[in-house]
Amino acid sequence: MKKFQNKPSRSILNKRIIFSIVCLVLGFMLAYSYSLSSSKKLNGEPVSSTYFEQEERYREDLVQQKERNKELAEELEARQLQVREIEKSLSGSEEKYEGLINEAEDLRLLIGLLPATGEGVSVELEDAEYNPESVNPNDYIVHESHVFQVLNELKISGAEALSINGQRLHANSYIKCNGPVITIDGQPFPAPFIIEAVGDPSVLVPSLQLSGGVLDQLLNDNIVVTIEEKSKIKMPAL
Amino acid sequence: MWLPLLGLILGISLGLLTDIQIPSVYENYLSIAVLAALDTLFGGIRAQLQHVYDDKVFVSGFFFNIALAAGLAFLGVHLGVDLYLAAIFAFGVRLFQNIAVIRRIILTKWSERKGTID
Repeated sequence: MKKFQNKPSRSILNKRIIFSIVCLVLGFMLAYSYSLSSSKKLNGEPVSSTYFEQEERYREDLVQQKERNKELAEELEARQLQVREIEKSLSGSEEKYEGLINEAEDLRLLIGLLPATGEGVSVELEDAEYNPESVNPNDYIVHESHVFQVLNELKISGAEALSINGQRLHANSYIKCNGPVITIDGQPFPAPFIIEAVGDPSVLVPSLQLSGGVLDQLLNDNIVVTIEEKSKIKMPAL
Repeated sequence: MWLPLLGLILGISLGLLTDIQIPSVYENYLSIAVLAALDTLFGGIRAQLQHVYDDKVFVSGFFFNIALAAGLAFLGVHLGVDLYLAAIFAFGVRLFQNIAVIRRIILTKWSERKGTID
């Protein structure tokens, strides 16, 4: 394209023809690719690349959802664990409360604030028959120490409430020897002494009857002991 | 002078009117060929501006580059290597370089002309 050569010679014509061919090819290619891409857009047919992109996107979504599911499952597990722990601690505290309530009940029974009823044992301690051979009358009468022995044994064995001749004993009760009678909380009581205990007879009776235990010692001291299981004993509150 | 322009218009209209569907596998070749053609075209313009233009170089380069790019892409597809990337890279870089050179030359000419006018 040398413009300064005015007269069109043969070589210039050749050049122009070649140029026009080049331009034709270029224009064809540009226009063809343009029409191709625009027709693709217009058709909106599932072109492989976009199809793959879509698939890829769905796959990513799926992976994300799976991860989220996993996270949620883990969270659920953790929450369930927490709930279980809370329940456990709750039940533990309930047990504790129950224990405390039972203990309070026991203590109330022990200090005699509550009337006690239930099955139990009654132990009767009686002076032995007058024995003329014996010089010392102490050998065959019931002393307060005998009563103590029986009471302690019953308390150790889990008696809930105790009474002597109908006099309820509490935590601060005192028993003292007063000659032929014993004084319990200021009230004199003569023999025979009926000691009543509310509790499990199947525990209380064998504990009294242990060999070498209370019963044996009392019998050794010439005391008439009568142990009786009772299905119902009633003791009033103090 | 009007003959190349006529050719261009004819080519564009032909391209727009053609309704041949080519397989999508060969679309890559076409795009690379277009890139090669553009590269050669701008190279020719630059050569013209630098007064080193040669008809034979331009025309042979035009067709040979197109064929080479398409052939490279074809080879790459069959070898499993993305060789068309090499063509895209090379032609793209050269395209930008050519355009940059053209811009500078035109700028220099413009400023020179302005200087002479002033």
